[in-house]
Amino acid sequence: MTLSFLFPPKKLMSVFILITVLLMGFVCSLYGQSEFSLRVNDVWNLFVSYDESNINQQIILSLRLPRSLTAAVIGFNLGIAGLLMQGLTRNPLASPTLFAISSGAACLTALNSLTVASIGGLSNEAVAFVGALTGGGLVFLLGGGLSSNQNALRLILAGIAINGLLTSLTRAVLIIADDMAYSLLHWLSGSLSGIDWSSWSQLWPLSLLGLFIATSTCRGLNLNALGEQTAASLGVNVTWLRIRICLAVLILTSISVTVAGPIAFVGLIAPHLARAWCGSNHFMLLPAAGLSGAALVCWADLVSRNIIPPAETPVGIITALIGTPFFIYLILKGKR
Amino acid sequence: MSRYNKILAISFVLLIILSVISLSLGVKSLTLETVFNTVINGGDEDFIINQYRLPRIIISILVGIGLAVSGVLTQGIIRNPLASPDLMGISGGAGLFACSSLLIWPEVHSALLPLIAILGGFSAAFLIWLLNHFNHPSPARLALVGIAVSAFLTSCINFILVLHPVEMNSAMIWLTGSLWGRNWDYIWPLLPWLIILVPFSFYLAWSLDLSALGEETATSLGVNTECLQVLALSSAVALASVSVAVCGTIGFVGLLAPHLARLLVGPRHKLILPIAALTGALLVLSADTLSRNLAPPLEMPAGVLTAVLGAPYFIFLLYRYKGW
Repeated sequence: MTLSFLFPPKKLMSVFILITVLLMGFVCSLYGQSEFSLRVNDVWNLFVSYDESNINQQIILSLRLPRSLTAAVIGFNLGIAGLLMQGLTRNPLASPTLFAISSGAACLTALNSLTVASIGGLSNEAVAFVGALTGGGLVFLLGGGLSSNQNALRLILAGIAINGLLTSLTRAVLIIADDMAYSLLHWLSGSLSGIDWSSWSQLWPLSLLGLFIATSTCRGLNLNALGEQTAASLGVNVTWLRIRICLAVLILTSISVTVAGPIAFVGLIAPHLARAWCGSNHFMLLPAAGLSGAALVCWADLVSRNIIPPAETPVGIITALIGTPFFIYLILKGKR
Repeated sequence: MSRYNKILAISFVLLIILSVISLSLGVKSLTLETVFNTVINGGDEDFIINQYRLPRIIISILVGIGLAVSGVLTQGIIRNPLASPDLMGISGGAGLFACSSLLIWPEVHSALLPLIAILGGFSAAFLIWLLNHFNHPSPARLALVGIAVSAFLTSCINFILVLHPVEMNSAMIWLTGSLWGRNWDYIWPLLPWLIILVPFSFYLAWSLDLSALGEETATSLGVNTECLQVLALSSAVALASVSVAVCGTIGFVGLLAPHLARLLVGPRHKLILPIAALTGALLVLSADTLSRNLAPPLEMPAGVLTAVLGAPYFIFLLYRYKGW
């Protein structure tokens, strides 16, 4: 009974459709737009009859597969991070980009990887985590997150200001470190070029950890939607819930930024898409938001490679071009 | 001397001192004596002083004046403390048009550039006006819409820069605003616009004071409010756009300068305008001086420095803002 209550067949159908869309984007990005003439057949053969001497299969295996997998996982991470943030703050505009979490992570990562003295000898992941924490924390403090009369718009406006500040600082760091750092500008708007299996092995363990924590908060988030006091009276430890959510958001965002830079607005769009299809139950929303995010980044990556074929457009620019009109729509809609 | 005249004199003197300092500092630092000699007589350092630093200083002053006056007009009409040309997406529109015309048709005439930028600024303003007209968002929401529009336009600029890769410093001009490589050639397209529009905004100052009392009161006191709104906003858009056409979207100057001026001399626009213009010039000039001298010979974009200053101030404004 619980199972069909938590996962109604109709909603499962939409998740199924999402998976199909994702898979289509995934497969297309495996063979589409290449200097070599890759075909769907090659993708199929790679999985069915693997041939070590086939150059096309080797290209797909060593270049395309890690990139597509990374795109999907990053999209999944960002979608879930956005969903958790929107669930926690009950603010439809909350997302890693707008709360400066991504740009905080990006800023400290840039500092760490470019300056001579790296920060305390920490690894990139740890530095990104600290940066994400700093960015998000600053926004929350300065946006009046602690005061009694919280205001959604104020938080968002503060987030945008901090975001602008951190992005400017990152640019300054990049310029001082290396004035020929044009490729780093690409990284700054989120780019999937230069992804290989090592980035994948860097990405998946922490993503899995974040996903695990995120899953554990679903029940709490469902109750939190009724209001914090109701949730508390229904036996949710609200403080503990918040800590877990923040932890999950920070882990998921910072690992994504470490690998591919701050890919904008995925965390804002994906949860809204998921909510439109799958209602308000977080047990359904979590996979749906993740899958929408993954599909979004996969398709955006495909588009970004197709615009000027030999060169690559940073995928973050494509998602920003889609995301900002959607953002405007959300702001205007929110009034009613 | 009244307090107002004192403030005016002090900011004017500050501007001159800063200009002199800016002339002498750089990759090659010169003594004040050499600076004065070169400005008057030319000589060995003629290129550095008269062809490189002096035009940049004049452009930063002009751009600062343009952005600040534009900010005063915008805030005066919209009566929203969070409004400014760059936060409303107007700078973004101007930047997008100027940047794409320069990158797609590199041979475009420099006198046309301000016109193209103004076209862009008006398109962005029209977009905001449409959204405002059909949706009537609250002031804070309107600010957010403006920021979102300008984020969209910035990502368009980003996109165009990827399609037409240019050298890092030129890219920075359009992404954050910078005075890199600006010389005498860029002053002439800018100057006539400022000479016409800045006095015109002084002419509007009195009506702006009245319109601050509310639309109905202003009308009953003989102000044609609709006409005033159109005139003031158009000059604001034009001023911001021509500034952007020369040195990109230097952020937060149009927001900061009017606020600082209001803090110093109170709410009357006739008094605010000169102080705001001087403050804006000071802001851009000091940002540019710093940007040349922080890590020579590398250049930081001036827009990065104004953002470092402006973003915290914006948050401070959010703190004080009560109209949620």
